[in-house]
Amino acid sequence: MQPFSASCNHIRVADRDLTYEDIVQIVELIKSTSHFSEFRLKVGEIEVSLKRADGVRRPAAEMPQRSIESPAAEPSGKALRTFTQDVRLVRAPMVGIFYRAPAPGEPSFVEVGQSVAPDSIVCIIEVMKLMNSIEAGTRGVVREILVSNGAGVEYGEVLMVIEPGRP
Amino acid sequence: MKRFDFVDVTLRDAHQCLWSTRMTTAMMTPILSEIDRVGYAYINILGGAVFDVCVRYLHENPWERVRLLCERLSTPCDALTRGQSLYTFELFPDDIVALNAQLLARLGVKVFTVYDALNDNRNLESSVKAGREAGMKINGWMTYTLSPVHTDAYYVERTKELLALGMDFLCIKDPTGLLTPERGATLFPAVVQAAGKIPVQLHSHCQSGLAPQVYEVAMNSGFRFGYTASEPLANGASLPATEEIDERAQRLGFETSMNRIVLKQIAGYFRWLCEREDKPCGAVAQYDAALYEHQIPGGMVSNLRYQLETMKLSHRLPEILEEVARVRRDLGYPIVVSPFAQYVVTQATLNVVQGERYKTIPDEIRKYAMGYYGRLAARPSNEFLDRLNLKSSELITERPGEHIEPRVPRLRAELGASAGDEDLLLAAFYDKTMLEPLEKPAPAYRFRTTPLHELVSWLGARRDIEYAHIRFAGTEMTFSA
Repeated sequence: MQPFSASCNHIRVADRDLTYEDIVQIVELIKSTSHFSEFRLKVGEIEVSLKRADGVRRPAAEMPQRSIESPAAEPSGKALRTFTQDVRLVRAPMVGIFYRAPAPGEPSFVEVGQSVAPDSIVCIIEVMKLMNSIEAGTRGVVREILVSNGAGVEYGEVLMVIEPGRP
Repeated sequence: MKRFDFVDVTLRDAHQCLWSTRMTTAMMTPILSEIDRVGYAYINILGGAVFDVCVRYLHENPWERVRLLCERLSTPCDALTRGQSLYTFELFPDDIVALNAQLLARLGVKVFTVYDALNDNRNLESSVKAGREAGMKINGWMTYTLSPVHTDAYYVERTKELLALGMDFLCIKDPTGLLTPERGATLFPAVVQAAGKIPVQLHSHCQSGLAPQVYEVAMNSGFRFGYTASEPLANGASLPATEEIDERAQRLGFETSMNRIVLKQIAGYFRWLCEREDKPCGAVAQYDAALYEHQIPGGMVSNLRYQLETMKLSHRLPEILEEVARVRRDLGYPIVVSPFAQYVVTQATLNVVQGERYKTIPDEIRKYAMGYYGRLAARPSNEFLDRLNLKSSELITERPGEHIEPRVPRLRAELGASAGDEDLLLAAFYDKTMLEPLEKPAPAYRFRTTPLHELVSWLGARRDIEYAHIRFAGTEMTFSA
């Protein structure tokens, strides 16, 4: 890396107190020269000299953003699951948070093995802080609950599997 | 000489609009003494979003923030609640509303500001009564919006209702910057006249770019106070800059008490904070005709963009904004302000993403249509009512607070005698798990800082810098890893 050195006349730090406007400009300069290993600035009364570590200790902004990439692999994994024609799927209407009970500490709307009617509420999806009661949509028996309480769900993600028919 | 005075929103609505409410107490404390002596009549420190973001995202105890700010500021502090909904979107029973007012007064709040998002002033009755009994001044807001039913006469009626409840101040709140100088010229004198001796305030956002002119119309119409923010956190979705409105007031011949030198120090600090925290400063907005259709308020736009980004739906924003205008008409012109802004925006998002209108209707929107939250401004559309399929037995006409059971005795029993009012109220608003992070001790706050101190702290926190040498006016310092 190359050293960076400048004396900038457009920043006027006179024989007075350093102001916030001054440090905003100094910091902007430091940020914009992050690819240089050394930084030297002399403006009026102030001098700033910096040496940057290279290699290991890179600025946070240049770090690969692993935290964003890795969860993205998950939904595609979920999508691989296929279901047989004879079951009905309860899907998420939107990206949101899945809740099995009307409120924390209260019993779940449904359990596996339970019978449901088309208008039975089976779960809640919280979308942008609003609660959406999700109905079974079909008469039958809950065979599977695929998402755990409080988990984030994608648009169209399968939440529950219902086997249609009269119990 | 006529006076015009200022209410600061830098610590509340300004960062709610520009930073999704993410200003921490530690970011406020170094500049408090300057804000305190710059000349504001009141300082607004609390609102629904601030309270909620403190708990959910900043993991700060909001009562501690209120206590600290009231202790440190000798300028009287103003706290805003959403009437019967307080800080969240639910309705709370009268006993919780009353306890909250008592607690705010005990923490040092002097002005208790209340509004109802439907402008159904029955929802302010319990707050006004409790706030006055607790010794606070009462400030009633009515929310401005554009619709065929929100006429000048409508706002004169609301003014009369507020006066009947007993007010120390009245305020027109324009959450989306929809007011124009032309509308102000008819609306403001009508409201001032109806208000009589009660001083009237203006609280308007800058999304249309017209707010500073609207403030001038307000001053000339007899408004006594304007809400404003420090310049770096003003404009855009935020409110006008104190600096600009002060200048306009003086040019119009009003006496003001803002200290320009201290205003500049405060602005310098917040400009630096934007840089340090990598947050946007407010920029003067270009006129946007679509705003008058979708009417989404300040805080909501930045939140919606952010939420759509996390859902990978950013590209559908224009479609969603168009649908917002249609949904609002269908729902009987709710004011696009919290919480109904969220209702309208969420319903519009559902309609667009699902490709079928009203296929899913959130439970809260159903309750809204039933009258659960209060009176609707106009009758909803048939398309929406057909999809809702409400039974006449589900319709509610009484004051919303009437149908909510008292909760304080039950919470006292659950939490035990050792729990104070602060814990009790937090437990009324949030699940236990959400409150756990609040137990971590607050950081040691700094109550003053200097640019040099800020520069050195910033350099010291950079992990990529292994050696720094600073020389300034006889001070020299070196640090190395």
